[in-house]
Amino acid sequence: MRVIACGKAVPEEQDIVISKDRQVSFDKAEWKFGSYDLNAVEAGKQIVEAAGGQLSGLCAGGKILENPKMKKDIVSRGLDELFTVTDEALEQVDSFQTAKVLEAAIKKMGEYDLVLCGAGSSDLYAQEVGNQLGELLGVPVVNAVNKITPEGDKVIVERALENEIQVLEISLPAVLSVTSEINTPRIPGMKDIISANKKPVTRWSLADIDVAELEPSREVVSTLAPEQADRRLNILEGDSEEAVAEFVKLISAELK
Amino acid sequence: MTVNKVWIITDDRNALGELCAGGRQLGETVSAVVFADKTQAEEAIQLGADEVYVFGQPSESVVIESYSKAIADMIREAEVNLVMVHASVSGKLIAGKIAAQLGTGALANISDIDVEDGIVVKHMVYGGAAVRTEKALSKTAVVTVGTGVFTALAKDPSRQGSVTEVNPELANTGIRVLETRPKQGEVVNLSSAKRVVGVGRGFASKDDLQMAEELAALVGAEMACSRPIAEGEKWMSKERYVGVSGAVVKPDIYLAIGISGQIQHMVGVNQAKTLVAINKDKNAPVFKQVDIGLVGDIYQVLPQIVAKLKEQKLVTV
Ligand SMILES: Cc1cc2nc3c(=O)[nH]c(=O)nc-3n(C[C@H](O)[C@H](O)[C@H](O)COP(=O)(O)OP(=O)(O)OC[C@H]3O[C@@H](n4cnc5c(N)ncnc54)[C@H](O)[C@@H]3O)c2cc1C
Repeated sequence: MRVIACGKAVPEEQDIVISKDRQVSFDKAEWKFGSYDLNAVEAGKQIVEAAGGQLSGLCAGGKILENPKMKKDIVSRGLDELFTVTDEALEQVDSFQTAKVLEAAIKKMGEYDLVLCGAGSSDLYAQEVGNQLGELLGVPVVNAVNKITPEGDKVIVERALENEIQVLEISLPAVLSVTSEINTPRIPGMKDIISANKKPVTRWSLADIDVAELEPSREVVSTLAPEQADRRLNILEGDSEEAVAEFVKLISAELK
Repeated sequence: MTVNKVWIITDDRNALGELCAGGRQLGETVSAVVFADKTQAEEAIQLGADEVYVFGQPSESVVIESYSKAIADMIREAEVNLVMVHASVSGKLIAGKIAAQLGTGALANISDIDVEDGIVVKHMVYGGAAVRTEKALSKTAVVTVGTGVFTALAKDPSRQGSVTEVNPELANTGIRVLETRPKQGEVVNLSSAKRVVGVGRGFASKDDLQMAEELAALVGAEMACSRPIAEGEKWMSKERYVGVSGAVVKPDIYLAIGISGQIQHMVGVNQAKTLVAINKDKNAPVFKQVDIGLVGDIYQVLPQIVAKLKEQKLVTV
């Protein structure tokens, strides 16, 4: 079975700096792979461990993907090989442009059985790349997958809807987006990190995968920190009895 | 200003009212797509739809998402300006499939929409750290909308509209439903709770949550938590964690106990009328965004607070 796990490089959300005028800056941000994408990699790893086969990683994005640290990070989590599509133009793309690029890359990668995506990218979290990708590839596509069991040329999956679990039989090839609860991604050990260096990487440009034009579906007007609601900021300090008594008085007034 | 044609699509009857109202607000004509249950058609018309397409359920083993191609074909044919899909799990998949069929991307989970000067939407990005405003560039804009963006209109039994049943041929979709079973776990409705007590990693063990539960019981609050408490520690069910990837609450009062106040958590609670926090670290980010705060160790102050509230209760009862 050939499984392809997709991942996106994103800025570390803890490092985002908001300036006075509500502008959002990533200048100080470390880059990493989206935390939800790690669930897709782990799910892929578990499938090839159980059913045999090969796990390929696929990442489309800006130049940051060429950073050796990024390669090591994603490959050490269980990939047998990594494919990247990099172009500066891919730094600001929408979910459909991303899906188009992944579609073209997957066609170039050759035969595959399963494409896995995370629940959403941890930066924009549109949760739509997998859905659109499956439709573009013309294969079965399902989101919110909580369990995957390979069964010959099919997989049996459990899908978490709002109030029920759907058990689905899906013929391969297929595209699945997994939930963040499907597994706990393993933490790479020293050995994984060292052997990651030896795993093959194939680097493509947009031209290499024959993507000439990428029409955006939307134009970004602004990205601003939300306006903060004015709060009273009545902070009582110290665990003295008086402070606690005052606190109880204040919240009791709110509870009336 | 309105756009000409709005289509709304929902797999959840409870979302019909808000989406129909949104359609009325933004479009000249409103068409609704519903699934399986014909009785929804009348309701959709009373709530604001002009025409309703009811997609039948040919067999138990078919997922409704299989209709996406047929719906996309109808949307293309009708030259629809705006498609609003209920942001349920199925709705998101339907939206993505339809958008891809139309050669565009679905604008996901919008919190606001304006059609004055093109179709302009807002949605949260970077885990709630920012709101992005985007203008749709495609001929047909496809968006997903959660609850709370529009306000349903009262049902108007005198409204007239057309109802069409659609039963498209479905080729082998490669997806077969083997079984549908109710979800394990609690059904909690945090979004309608008036008072909520939220607990975080400031609690050292599951047993210690009892202190907070006692407080919640005293003031009639629902219990909620930060993500690590539900997903890491698994001390509380997933339905109870609040934030950008969890539930959004809008209570009169939210008490954050032992929660640091990271943005990903706070976006789930900052619509509370009053925000209260207890934390032993006076520099915790939560104290920059509360109405009432107490800097103190939970293990010291919480038992005292509970005792005092109990006393008060004895006095008032
Ligand atoms: C993509 C993404 C999505 C996320 N989505 C969510 C989400 O939806 N919801 C969510 O909650 N989180 C979410 N998170 C996680 C979030 O960033 C924080 O890590 C999380 O909210 C922290 O939980 P906490 O406040 O319980 O724990 P901590 O940040 O560890 O805070 C614990 C606090 O307790 C205080 N404390 C410790 N001991 C005591 C004591 N004895 N008495 C009083 N105070 C004490 C400490 O001072 C500290 O401030 C998300 C993260 C990412 C990356």
